[in-house]
Amino acid sequence: MDPVQAPGVYQGAANVIAAAMLLLEFGMLRQALVRDQIRLYMAQSALISVLAIVIAADRNLPDLYALAGLSAALKVVAVPLVLRRLLGRAGGNGHDEEEPAGVAGSYTLSPASAVLTGIVLAAIGFFCFGAWGFAAQHIHGSAAPATALAIAGAMVLVAFGLMIVRRDVASQAIGFFTLENAISLAALVVAAGLPLILETAFLFDLLVAVVVFAMLIRAHHTRAESLSTADLTRLRG
Amino acid sequence: MVSAALPIPVIQLLQVLTVAAGAPGVMGVIAKVEARLQGRRGPKVRQPYYDLAKLFRKEALAPEGASWFFLAAPVMAVAAYLTVPLLIPVLTSYGLPLGYMGDILGGGFLLSLASFLVATAALETGSPYAQLGSSRAKTFSAITEPVVLFVVFTVALLTGTDLPYALAATVRSSAGQIIRPAHLLAAAALFMVILHETGRIPVETHTGTTEFGMIEEARGFEHSGPYFALLKWGSQLKQLILFTILADVFLAPWGLASTQKLGAIVLAIAALLAKAVAIGCAVAVIDNSFAKLRLFKITEFVSGAFLLAVLGVFTLYLGGG
Repeated sequence: MDPVQAPGVYQGAANVIAAAMLLLEFGMLRQALVRDQIRLYMAQSALISVLAIVIAADRNLPDLYALAGLSAALKVVAVPLVLRRLLGRAGGNGHDEEEPAGVAGSYTLSPASAVLTGIVLAAIGFFCFGAWGFAAQHIHGSAAPATALAIAGAMVLVAFGLMIVRRDVASQAIGFFTLENAISLAALVVAAGLPLILETAFLFDLLVAVVVFAMLIRAHHTRAESLSTADLTRLRG
Repeated sequence: MVSAALPIPVIQLLQVLTVAAGAPGVMGVIAKVEARLQGRRGPKVRQPYYDLAKLFRKEALAPEGASWFFLAAPVMAVAAYLTVPLLIPVLTSYGLPLGYMGDILGGGFLLSLASFLVATAALETGSPYAQLGSSRAKTFSAITEPVVLFVVFTVALLTGTDLPYALAATVRSSAGQIIRPAHLLAAAALFMVILHETGRIPVETHTGTTEFGMIEEARGFEHSGPYFALLKWGSQLKQLILFTILADVFLAPWGLASTQKLGAIVLAIAALLAKAVAIGCAVAVIDNSFAKLRLFKITEFVSGAFLLAVLGVFTLYLGGG
């Protein structure tokens, strides 16, 4: 079998950043504390800004610098801040660092099994989106590192997995936000030249999601005094 | 004198001798660095040599009922460890004649053979701690085996062969070969396996004396004198060999001699020891910044390594990761 050719340094760097984002997604899957999950989300969002800068430098797209700055301001600073405030209030006593009730032990699977399930999901994502990636390579002018696109697909599925295997609203919200990160990653590698206004519109979609989740978390917490969705099973008709 | 060419068999012998003589020193440096990080003065760097010399002069005792295998195992284990440096690039970037008698899997088999021999010898003793150690060691090596296999798959996909020399040459060939997810993920997975195999935190306390957390360290409890010295030396050899594989095959295959000149070989010896010490310092920092995992949490650590290795193979399958 022939050795696999190395991609260029820029493409390699883009792939490495994408792979690091996927690893952070797995980190969130096995992380027990919500505040650590938020930290991982911040790191992941910072990485996507770095990726935007790398692509901007490689393909000479000045728009992307602005997008990187905007996305960093929103996803590294604003969203985690809102989440922390929200969960800090849910934790009671107004202490930001206190862990809210119903989050610890919200695993439905043990961490090791959750990671193995995540690997299976990632494999499905990889191979489905990988086929797309190969097709996209023939699109003229597409940056499309097939690997980064496939990693974005794997990230989408692992984010879904995160929302499924955890039984607390906080992890589910973070899973949803990372879903948006995965889709931004796919958009960046496939359509780096997308008009700035569209990219910004996607970013503000995230804000809507944050508001909706904030309301859900608040409503659930006032009714159930916990963030765990396990209490909702009782409500079946 | 410096430009005099050394015969190939001498270089081959030097690979083994460098590892054999350098291993206790590397262990000593790690112990020293770790102690300094904790604000202690720490043992001398030469201390492992003194320990070995002392143990070699002591009397050897075997528990009643232990067969000849109990005493033969440490010798065979060290022989297996000393064979591995023949297979991997230790000093030269070109393959030496005996370097092709086994591939990466061959080296892996030799390392597991040595560990199997030591574990079996521990079973001979009837001592509960030694038996507990060998049972744990075998259990956990069974779960790290898939990680090693996936790292080997990555190497095989990257180079089209599974010879360590080929991967080192591939990594040297261009920057694109280094900044690619497959290579970085495989190297990270291998590093985690090395932490596990050398009995470092987060898996095992290296210098600890609590039997409850012991895995590899518990196996030598019943050995004494020269045989115990061989076991200790064996684990130091294993550590340096694994560091050499990480440095000379994956992370930094630079500084190897490309000629047979004496000067180049001497430089390569210095470079190898420097790289091993650098990895050792990283290991010492990790030792100091993390807590030991509970025994049943080790599976999570290994599943993390497995994740890295599997993702490495995945990204390669998708056109070049």
